[in-house]
Amino acid sequence: MYSKSMEPRIVGTAVPRKEAAAKVTGTAQYVDDVSLPGMLHGVTVRSGHPRALIRHIHFGDGIPWHEFTIVTARDIPGRNIVTLIFDDQPFLADGEINHPEEPVLLLAHENKDMVRRARQHVFIDYDPLPAIFDIDEALQAKTIIWGEDNVFKRYCIEKGDVDAVWSQADFIVEGEYSTEAQEQLYIEPQGMLATWDPETGITVRGSMQCPFYVQKALMPLFNLPAEKVRVIQQETGGAFGGKEEYPSMIAGHAALLAWKSGRPVKMIYDREEDMAATTKRHPSRTRHRTAVSRDGRLLAMDIEFIIDGGAYATLSSVVLSRGTIHAAGPYRCDNIRVRSTAVATNTPPHGAFRGFGAPQSLFAIERHMNKVARTLGLTPEEFRRRNFLRQGDSTATGQLIKQPLDLARLQQRALQLAGYADKLERFSRLNREGTRKKGIGFSTFMHGAGFTGSGERHLQSVVHLEARADGTVCVLSSMTEMGQGTNTILAQIAAEALGTSYEQVQVLRPDTAQVPNSGPTVASRTAMVIGRLVQSAALSLKEKLLQAALLQPGYTPEQFQSACREYICSIGPLKTSAQYEEPPGVHWDDEKYRGEAYGAFSWAVHVAEVTVDTVTGEIQLDDFVALQEVGRVLNPVLARGQIEGGVAQAIGYALYEKVVWRDGGMANNQMTNYIMPTAMDLPPIRVYFEEIPYEHGAMGAKGIGELPMDGPAPAILNAVENALGISFCHIPLLPEDVLSELSVAREAALDLAGSVV
Amino acid sequence: MTPFTYSCPKTIEEAIVAAESGPDVRFIGGGTNLIDLMKMGVEHPRRIIDLNKLPLKMIEEHNGGLRIGALVSNTDAANHPLVRSRYPVLSQAILAGATQQLRNKATMGGNLLQRTRCYYFYDPSFEECNKRRPGSGCAAIKGYNRIHAILGASDQCIAVQPSDMCVALLALDAVVQVDGPPRSIPMRDFHRLPGSTPQIDTNLQPGQLITAIDLPPIPYGRRSVYIKVRDRNSFAFALVSVATVLDTRPDGVIRKAHIALGGVAMKPWRATKAEQLLAGKKPDENTLRAAAGAELQPAKGYRDNAFKIELAKRCIIRSVQSALRAG
Ligand SMILES: Cc1cc2nc3c(=O)[nH]c(=O)nc-3n(C[C@H](O)[C@H](O)[C@H](O)COP(=O)(O)OP(=O)(O)OC[C@H]3O[C@@H](n4cnc5c(N)ncnc54)[C@H](O)[C@@H]3O)c2cc1C
Ligand code: SF4
Repeated sequence: MYSKSMEPRIVGTAVPRKEAAAKVTGTAQYVDDVSLPGMLHGVTVRSGHPRALIRHIHFGDGIPWHEFTIVTARDIPGRNIVTLIFDDQPFLADGEINHPEEPVLLLAHENKDMVRRARQHVFIDYDPLPAIFDIDEALQAKTIIWGEDNVFKRYCIEKGDVDAVWSQADFIVEGEYSTEAQEQLYIEPQGMLATWDPETGITVRGSMQCPFYVQKALMPLFNLPAEKVRVIQQETGGAFGGKEEYPSMIAGHAALLAWKSGRPVKMIYDREEDMAATTKRHPSRTRHRTAVSRDGRLLAMDIEFIIDGGAYATLSSVVLSRGTIHAAGPYRCDNIRVRSTAVATNTPPHGAFRGFGAPQSLFAIERHMNKVARTLGLTPEEFRRRNFLRQGDSTATGQLIKQPLDLARLQQRALQLAGYADKLERFSRLNREGTRKKGIGFSTFMHGAGFTGSGERHLQSVVHLEARADGTVCVLSSMTEMGQGTNTILAQIAAEALGTSYEQVQVLRPDTAQVPNSGPTVASRTAMVIGRLVQSAALSLKEKLLQAALLQPGYTPEQFQSACREYICSIGPLKTSAQYEEPPGVHWDDEKYRGEAYGAFSWAVHVAEVTVDTVTGEIQLDDFVALQEVGRVLNPVLARGQIEGGVAQAIGYALYEKVVWRDGGMANNQMTNYIMPTAMDLPPIRVYFEEIPYEHGAMGAKGIGELPMDGPAPAILNAVENALGISFCHIPLLPEDVLSELSVAREAALDLAGSVV
Repeated sequence: MTPFTYSCPKTIEEAIVAAESGPDVRFIGGGTNLIDLMKMGVEHPRRIIDLNKLPLKMIEEHNGGLRIGALVSNTDAANHPLVRSRYPVLSQAILAGATQQLRNKATMGGNLLQRTRCYYFYDPSFEECNKRRPGSGCAAIKGYNRIHAILGASDQCIAVQPSDMCVALLALDAVVQVDGPPRSIPMRDFHRLPGSTPQIDTNLQPGQLITAIDLPPIPYGRRSVYIKVRDRNSFAFALVSVATVLDTRPDGVIRKAHIALGGVAMKPWRATKAEQLLAGKKPDENTLRAAAGAELQPAKGYRDNAFKIELAKRCIIRSVQSALRAG
C-alpha cells in the first residue's frame, strides 16, 4: 500500500547494504572481536551419554583447579530452566542426562588453551539408562524419556470427512517419505560475552536472532527483572534459525560464569562443538494416503506427519505446527486430515531452521503428487493443474485465499523458462544410450509468512522511529541483521515512506535497553510484518511534520531533513511508534487448528535439471529455475540472494548433507565429513519473481526468507526419478543410495550383456 | 602451536645435515599439509627446514623419461607440456586434487608425503588414533568410516592414503629419488600398509630428503585416464579413484594394463590381479567385470564404506573403457 502519487524511489531498487562496508573492510564487530579487561574464557563440559544419571563428578590431577571458576546446577541462583515454550530443558543437567551433548558443568579461566585442556580432565561417572534414538522407538514407548508417552505435541487438522471418501475413490495412493537432520552451518559459530555488575545486573552480547528471547530466558535464571538483564546483538554471521533459541543456552552459561567469577566471560564454540551440540533441522517421516478420481481430482488426503524433536521440547511444537499446516501443499481438496506428532529422542534437541517444518512436509507432498499423477497416467504438471488452489478456495485449515492466485500460470511460466517440454522429450531420447542419464523435475509449493495463527496477535510487536537533530531518522526495533539484509530493507521502507534519502535512515543495533520488542527475527516475518510497522511509524512521523506545517507536499529529502531539525528545536523530540494490528477478518482457532493460519502465503515453482551417473551414483545439477510470487520485491539484489542461498542450502539438504548419528550424538561434526555443496557443485540458479502487492505487507511485500528452502529437494528427486525411473523417497540422497538401488536393479536384470558403463 | 626454529638451506647437503639433528625436525615444501597439522596439534616439530631454496624445481628429460624435481609445484607439474603430452594421466590426477590455490603452493615431495585425511587422525580431541598415538586404539573402526579403507587395512588402522597424484605415479611405475643417503624407491614400495605400525606411512627414513620423481618412458602413455569419485567438486578427496594406462594392439587386445586405485587403502593400490586378467584380452563387459571383481575379491567394508567396494569395481571398468578411447 505505497502511495500512488509518489513513484517509489528507494523501495524496489538495489541500494547498497547498510553494513556492507563494515563487513568488507573488517571493521564489523562480531562477538569474538570484542575483548574486555579481565575477561575469562568459558567452556562447557558435556555429558557424552545419551541418557544416564550422574553419580559423581571428579576433577583430574595436573590442573590448577583453584584458578578456575566452576559452575554446576547447584550454583544456579534462580530457575534452572531455559524458558521457551515448555519448561523442560535445564541450563545445566541436575542429576539426569537426556542427550550426549547435555551441558553438565561450566569452566572459566583467563587462559583459553588452559580451559580447553581442563575440560578433558573433568570426569563424570554415570549410571546409564536405556535410551531411544528414532521416531519408531519413541512411538513404541517401551522406554519413556519424556512426559507420559514421549510426545511433545500432537495436532489434528480436519477438513470435510476423509473417511467417507475412500469407498468412492477410483484410486487410493499411499506413500511414505522421510527426511533427515540438517545442520545450519552459519559461518560464525555461536558465541556470547557476559558481564555481571551487582548494580546493573547481567549484560550479554553476542551472535543471535532474538535478543528478547535471551532476555526472557535469563530473567528467571537469575531472578532478575527485565531492567537488569540487558541483551545486545553483535554483528551476526549467519543464523538460519540456528540462533533462534540456542543463544539463550550459551548466554545463560556465559552469564552464570560471569556472575560467579565477577569477571567478563566469553564463550565461543568451535565448529565441532557448534555442529554437535546446537540445534538442527528436525528429522521427519510423512505418510500419505490419497483418494483421487479417474479424472484426476483430489478427493481426500490423509496425512500423518511425525518429527523427531530430540531430548527437549524447545520449538518442536511450533515447527510441527508449520509442517502440519503446509502438509497438504498448494492444493484444493474438500477432505483433508493431517495428524501430526512431535516425539522425543535422546539426541540434542532439534530446533529452528529455515522453513521450520515446511521443507519436511512439502518434500513429502511434492514427491507424493508425482506418484499420484503416475498412478493416474497423468503428467505431474497436468495433475497439479487440475488441483491447484485458486482465489476463493480454502486451504487445509479452512483459510480462504483472498489474494489473486493463479498457480497454473505460475507453473506454466516456470516450465517454459526451464524449457521443460523440450527437455523431457530430448532426455528420453538421450537416455536410451550411455551411462549418464538426464532428468528434469519440479515442485509447486507455498510458504506462510509471519507467525502461525494467533502468533502475531500475541506478540503485539512494536517499532519506534526517532528523528535526530541532524535530520537523520533512526529505526528502533528488535529485528536482527544476520546477513539477510534486515537493516537495508527496513531503512529502504522508512526512507520511502518518509520521503527522505536512504542514507539518512539508520537502523539501530538491537539492544534490549534501547529498542522496543518487535518480536523475534524468524518466520519470514521481518519484511512483511515489521516492515509494515516501520512504514506506519514513518507515515505518522511525516504526518507530524506536515501538520506542524514544517513540510509541504512534494518536498525534497533536504527539506525533510531541515523540517526534522526545526521540529526538534522548536517543538521537541520527534518520535513515533507503531504496534501490530491484526488485518480485518482474521480468525484462528488454536484448539481445532482452523482458520487463517498466515497473513499471507508466498507461492513458488522450482524446476531442477539433473544428470545422474549410473556408474557411480553421483547426481549433478545442471540447471535450476526458481520462480516465485512474493508480493512486492523490496530490494531485487537481496531478494535474489535469499532465493539463491536458499536453493543452495536446499540442494545440500537434498543431496549432500547427512548427519550421522551414533548413540544420539553427531558422529560427523566436522566440515570435512559433513559434506555441504560448494559453488562448484551448484547449477546456474535462475531466479524470477512475480510481484502481486499484498495490501497488508510493507509496501506490498510478503515473506521470502524461508520459501526457497521448501521446493528444491522434491524438485530434485522428481528430476532423478525422471532420469532413472527410480522413485526415491528419502533425503539426503547420497551416491551410495543411488548406487545400491542401481545395483539391485542391475542384479534383477538377468541379462548382463547390455553395457552399464 | 609449539614454537619452532626455522632455517632455509640453499643446498641439498645443508638440508640433509640440518635434518640429522633429531626426530622433531620436519622439512617443509608448500606447507599446505604440514602447517594444517601443526595448527590442529597433530604435528609438533621443533625445527622446520624450508626446502624452497633448493635447486629441485626442474622438469627435464631423463633416461628417455622425465625427471620432476621435488620442489616443483603441483600446478607446474600438471601443466608442463611434456607431462601433458606424454603422461596425461598424471596431469589429470594432479588437477583432480585440492584447489587451484593449494596446487600452486603444494610440491611434488609434499604431495607424496601428505598424511591421511582420517577425521580422527586430524582431530586430537579424539583420544584414540594409533597413527597419531601408537597404542591408543582406532576411533574410525567403530566411528564414522565412510572414507576409509576397503583393502589392506589392519585392526590397528583403516585409514587411506589420500593423494590423487600418487595413484597416477604408481600406474606410471614412477621412481622416487631420495638423498641422505641417495636411494631410489619405486612407487610401489614407497607407501606402507598399516599392519601393526600404522604410525609409519612410508619407507622413507626420518631425515631423508626426496629430491625428484622419475617417470620411465612409456610409449603408450597417452592411452590413459584418471577418474575420481568424490563427495563434491571441490575440497573433497577421492572416495575411489582409478588411474589406468593401456598398451593395446591395433585389434584392440590389451598387451599390458597398468591400473592403480586411490582412496581404497593406505597406499595407492596397484590392481595387479585385474591387470593379469586383462593382459592378452579384448576387454568386453564380462572380462572387465571379472577382472574388477577379482581385484576387489579380498576387499572388506566397514559400517559406512561398504559401498566403495562396488564403486571401485565400477570405476575400474569405466576407466579401462575410457582409456581405450583415449590417446
Ligand atoms: C583443503 C584441501 C583439500 C585438498 N584436496 C586434495 C585432493 O583432493 N587430492 C589430493 O591429492 N590432495 C589434496 N590436498 C592435499 C594437498 O595435495 C597436499 O596438502 C599437498 O600436496 C602437500 O604438499 P606440500 O608441498 O604443501 O607439503 P607440506 O605440507 O610442505 O609437506 C607435507 C609433508 O611432506 C614432507 N616433505 C615435503 N617435502 C619434502 C621433501 N622434498 N622431502 C622429504 N619430505 C618432504 C614434510 O616434512 C611434511 O611432512 C588438499 C589439501 C587441502 C588443504
Ligand atoms: S583409521 Fe588410522 S588414522 Fe584413523 S583413527 Fe584409526 S588409527 Fe587413526
